[in-house]
Amino acid sequence: MSSIILEARDVHYRYPRGMEAICGISFHIRKGEKIALVGPNGAGKSTLLKMFNGMIRPDSGLMLFDNQPIGYDTASLRMLRKRVGFVLQNPDRQIIAPTVYQDVAFGPTNLGYSEPKVKEVVSKVLRHVGLEGFERRPPHQLSGGEKKRVAIAGVLSMDPDVLVLDEPTSGLDPSGSEDIMELLDELNQEGKTIIISTHNVELAYPWADRAMLMLGGTILEEDIPEVAFGNPEYVRRAHLSLPTLLELHGELQKRGFNLEGKKPRTVLDMMQCIETIVRNTRSPVQPGTITICNVDKANQEDVSGWVSLHPKVSVGAMGTRAKQHAENCRIKLDFTYGVIDKCILKTLLGEDTLIMTTESMVKRVTQRVDAYCQESGIRIMVNHLGTVPEPAKEGEEGMP
Amino acid sequence: MFEELLEDIAQKNGLREVNTHIKLAAGLGAILLCLLSSSYIPPLFIAIVLTGAILSLARVDAKTYGALFIVPLWFAILSVAGIILITGGPDPFWKWDILPWFSLSITRESINQGVFVFCRVLGGMSAMLFISLTTPMTDIFTVFREFRIPNTVIDLMMIIYRTIFILMDQVVQVYHSQVMRLGYSTWRESLHSFASLCGAAFIASWDAGEDLIRAMDARCYDGKFALLGESRPIERMPCITLGIFLLLSAAVVIVAGTTTIL
Repeated sequence: MSSIILEARDVHYRYPRGMEAICGISFHIRKGEKIALVGPNGAGKSTLLKMFNGMIRPDSGLMLFDNQPIGYDTASLRMLRKRVGFVLQNPDRQIIAPTVYQDVAFGPTNLGYSEPKVKEVVSKVLRHVGLEGFERRPPHQLSGGEKKRVAIAGVLSMDPDVLVLDEPTSGLDPSGSEDIMELLDELNQEGKTIIISTHNVELAYPWADRAMLMLGGTILEEDIPEVAFGNPEYVRRAHLSLPTLLELHGELQKRGFNLEGKKPRTVLDMMQCIETIVRNTRSPVQPGTITICNVDKANQEDVSGWVSLHPKVSVGAMGTRAKQHAENCRIKLDFTYGVIDKCILKTLLGEDTLIMTTESMVKRVTQRVDAYCQESGIRIMVNHLGTVPEPAKEGEEGMP
Repeated sequence: MFEELLEDIAQKNGLREVNTHIKLAAGLGAILLCLLSSSYIPPLFIAIVLTGAILSLARVDAKTYGALFIVPLWFAILSVAGIILITGGPDPFWKWDILPWFSLSITRESINQGVFVFCRVLGGMSAMLFISLTTPMTDIFTVFREFRIPNTVIDLMMIIYRTIFILMDQVVQVYHSQVMRLGYSTWRESLHSFASLCGAAFIASWDAGEDLIRAMDARCYDGKFALLGESRPIERMPCITLGIFLLLSAAVVIVAGTTTIL
């Protein structure tokens, strides 16, 4: 298990002339975890988040970062804020500069990077969040989702270890929310610890490694999402709703179906539950294959060629860059969010699928498919599109 | 209330990619030549050329451009009418002695003077609009920095620029919510609504200011604002066009000399 990066020990905080916002909270967060703080309005989520980068100093108790107590002098706060990036709920309040480039460059410039370095960092980060070519646009002309991306890019440009986001999906449309969650997944895959606060149970439930249910300045429950959201009493007290899948699972169990294994996190898990129930009554289908296309390596002709050779294949793209790539190749996308699970579902119907994604997410796809195969005992073939042309090239060189 | 801001047009105009210096040189050069000229012809020439450039090169919608031009044009017409009536001269075409010590007259000189001023206004206006419709503020900041205007001033300008739009959004929201609840139905009501609109704007800006400091702190603010991205290279075609335009205008100034309309 990885080391602890953030820790709170019996933290209390009272707003000036107000009620106690945080009443004795203790927890720890490990490196590389995805944490969701869930709770009703006024539960103290935002207050707690602001303690992570020292914007609020607890009245009593101790906040630790990397096993060191947080110092509240200017120099220590600067160091802390470089390593713990904070994205405010309202991107309008976070975006300071008159152009996207300047805003993303704000952090690196203040950290004293040289100009070429700043430029390099900014273009890398904008590429990462899928905002290439937006450098000179003024923020007030962007859509809500784009503004959110700029806000995240502005924090990412300082290359923090921990990313704290207050309500990252508020005010976004469903597909915009999925995009942001996907981006967070991608960042997590690169080793960043991610902490979000949200009301959206359906979004947090499949995403988080651990969920903290907060109510009235205390932590009601802190566990893996299946457990944290699995207690209807706590969920009701925290003014939340039970995730649909958990509810469905519970209802099936109540009706006497014997559901083994862990509780479902995704539609795929749920399908597996149901399939185990009906397995005996149906003849098994030979599963299809999943082909992964790494858009950072593959060139457009190869991909378009492959797709035109396999017209029946369903195509999914993960991440904005992959989606842009698909658009450039004129590939019609069947799935734009929840791609891996949807593709596995397709293969279970005996159809073939193609997943377009970025370098950093390729491993995640294979991991997810492997995990599913292990759990279900079904074998699904995974091919890599990007690697197919390479041996062919070697072959050409090898026969002069 | 605020359909389209000048800034939005500037961000999308056809000359957006042309080097800022060239556009500023064209605009400022045109203003300078308008002021140097002592005939009505050069400013008129400049007005026609720049209007053509705005409509065809920058591809600004003619209706929008007309609407922008019409407001100052009314001021110009009113003041030129004043100039024509008040300026005296030796042989009046028309004269009216209202009071023993005050009379209105139209003379050759007054008409010449009026037309001259009017054309200057047209020339200057089109030059100003040329700059503001083709060059967004964000590009002008870069030029300011190149001209060694103190960083503090530029940083302030950039923050103000950014805040204007946020404040504007809030004001529009409050205004709409007032209109929807008949806030401007009577004179009394509109006075009251306008006052509370101002109050709300003040509180919003105060809030935004505090958030701004917090947002800057959260991103390690150390007194530095990001340098702006590099400006576009000076290309040959725009440069030649600028040269031709300025030379031609200067030639018109010299040739026209002190030509008057009458």
